[in-house]
Amino acid sequence: MPVYKRRYNPYSGTVTPQWSRFFVLTRYAFAELFKSRFFVILLILSLVPILFFAGYIFVANNKTVQVLMQLRSAGLFSVENKYFIMILFAQTQAAFLLNCWVGPVLISGDLTNGALPLFLSRPFSRADYVLGKLAVLGLLLSAVTWVPCLFLFSLQSGLAGNGWIWSHLWMIVPIVLCSVIWILMLSLISLAVSAWVKLRIVATGVIFISFFIPAGLGEMFNAIMGTYWGRLLNFSDMFRLILVRGFRDQTGPLDFVGGDEIPAPAAWGALILVCLLSLVILNARLRARETVRG
Amino acid sequence: MSPTIELSELEIQLGGRTILHGLTGVLKSRAIGLLGPNGAGKSTLINTLLGFHSPSKGSARVLGLDSHANGKELRSLVGYMPENDAFISKMSGVRFVRYMAEISGLPPDQAMERAHEAFVYVGLGEARYRPVGTYSLGMKQLAKLAQAIAHGPKLLILDEPTNGMDPPARKRLIELIREIREASDICLLLSSHLLRDVEETCDEVLILRNGQIASICNLVEERRANRKFLELETIGAEATFTSTLESLGCECAVFSNGRIKVVMPDSVEIREVFKVAAERGVQIRRMNHRRDSLEDIFLNAMEQTGAADARI
Repeated sequence: MPVYKRRYNPYSGTVTPQWSRFFVLTRYAFAELFKSRFFVILLILSLVPILFFAGYIFVANNKTVQVLMQLRSAGLFSVENKYFIMILFAQTQAAFLLNCWVGPVLISGDLTNGALPLFLSRPFSRADYVLGKLAVLGLLLSAVTWVPCLFLFSLQSGLAGNGWIWSHLWMIVPIVLCSVIWILMLSLISLAVSAWVKLRIVATGVIFISFFIPAGLGEMFNAIMGTYWGRLLNFSDMFRLILVRGFRDQTGPLDFVGGDEIPAPAAWGALILVCLLSLVILNARLRARETVRG
Repeated sequence: MSPTIELSELEIQLGGRTILHGLTGVLKSRAIGLLGPNGAGKSTLINTLLGFHSPSKGSARVLGLDSHANGKELRSLVGYMPENDAFISKMSGVRFVRYMAEISGLPPDQAMERAHEAFVYVGLGEARYRPVGTYSLGMKQLAKLAQAIAHGPKLLILDEPTNGMDPPARKRLIELIREIREASDICLLLSSHLLRDVEETCDEVLILRNGQIASICNLVEERRANRKFLELETIGAEATFTSTLESLGCECAVFSNGRIKVVMPDSVEIREVFKVAAERGVQIRRMNHRRDSLEDIFLNAMEQTGAADARI
C-alpha cells in the first residue's frame, strides 16, 4: 500500500517459518550491541590473545624463526593438550567478561517497559524467547572460545604436519564440549539475572556475586564438615576440573583442595545443575502476565 | 462461520483465587465490547483468550480455535494492544513495529514496509524515527495500535485503548478503530471503562461483574429495540390521554406538573402521540426522545447481578 493511501489493508503475503523466528530476537540484539563502541572494543580485546596464541604456534613450528630469535629450548615450544587448556581457559575468562557486559541488558530491556506481552501475544513461545536471547550469548561467546580454539587447532595441524592431527583429533571433543557447558552456564546465569535485575551495573555485580558467594559457601561447608565436596559450588574450579580431565592432562594435580578427588561427572553435574536452576528462575520470571497471589 | 468468541463454563483460577466463574456465552458479532467495573475480570478474560492463562475448567474458543490447545495458531491471527506500557524505549517507532511484525512472521522487507504503513496510518508518520521512549502517552497508545495491526491480524484485541488520551486524540483513535473495522473483515475485541468507546465501535457487548457474565447484549439489535422512551411535559393532560396511549400499546407513568414518561412499542410512531394529544386537546410543551443507551444496559446489568449477589 502506498504511504499516501491512508487506509488499513490486511496482510496477505508470505510468512517466515515458525522455527526461524527466534532468530529475529538474536538479529535485533546484535544490531543493538554493535552500536556500542565499548562492546566492539571489548570484543576485539577478547580476540587479541588469539593472535598471540597463533603467533606462538607459528614460532613453535618454524625452526628458522626459532633460530633467528635465538630460542633454543626444545621444551619451550610444545603445542600439546596443556597448551590448548591454557588457550581455552584464557578465552573462557574473556567470555566471562563479555558476558558480564552483554548479558544483563538482554531481557531487562524488554521487562522494563512491559514489552514481554507483545512478544508472547504472537505465535512465539517463552521457549522461543529464551532461545532467541540465548543465541545472542551463545554465538558471541562461541566466537571467542571454541571457534578460535578450533582455528588454532587447525593451524597447529597444518603447520605441524606428520599426522599430528590424527593423534590429536580427540581434542576437538573437549574443546567444543567444555566451551559449550561454560557458555551455556554463563548465558543462563546472566539471562536469569537480567530477568530479575533491571540496572546493568547491579546486574553485572549480581553475576559476579553468583560466582563468588556459592564458592564462599562451599568453602565454609568444607571447613565445617571437613570435606572437599563444597568445591562443587566453585563453578570456576569445576570448569577447570572438567577442562583438565577432558584434555587428559595427567601431569600435574589441580591446585585446589579436592581437585584430584572430585570426579569429573560430579563437576559436570554441578554445572548442569546451575543451568537447570537458571532455567527455573527464568521460567518463574518470564510471564506474559504477573499473578498476584492471595 | 464460527463465532468470534465462544465461552463454555470457563473458569480461571490465579494464585489460588477463582477470577472467572464458569463463563458461558457465544459472541458472534465482528466488533465486541468488553465492559465491567475494575476487577470484573476483563483483562483476565483477554489474557485467557490469548492463551496466557490455562482454564481450570471449561474452555474458550476464539475464531473457532481453542485458546489453550491451539494457542500458537490462534495468536498468529491476533493483534494485541495491551493496556499498560508495552514498548522498547530505545528503539525508534518504526523499528519497534518492524521488529514486532517480524516476530509475527513477516519477512524483513515486508515487515519494514508494513511498519511504515502502520505508522503513517495511525498518524505518527512524522515521529516514526524517534525513540518510542520519547513519545507522549497518546503517541505510545498509537504506537501500540500500529504494532497490533502491522502484521494484518484477523482479530484485534484492544485493552483500554483510549487510556490517557485527550479528547481529540481519543476521537481520532476511535475513528481509526472504526475505519479498521470497516476497511476489512477484521474482528475486534475492545475492553474499556468508557461506555462511549464501546458504544461507538462495537456491535455486541459482554458485561462482566465479579468474574461472571452480567449481560451479553447485541447493540445492533438493541438499537433497533422495541422499546422507545419519551419524556413529555404537557398541559391539560388527563387520564384519558394516557389511557388512549396505553390502548395503542404504550406504557405510561404520570408524574407531577404534567410530566409523563412513555415507553412506546416499535409499531407506534411519535406522530401518533401528537395525534392523540391533538384529539384530547393536550399541549405538548416539551418532548425528549431517547432510546435505551449502553449506559442503561450497563447499569441495568450491574443492578441485576448486584441484586442476585445480594440474594446469595
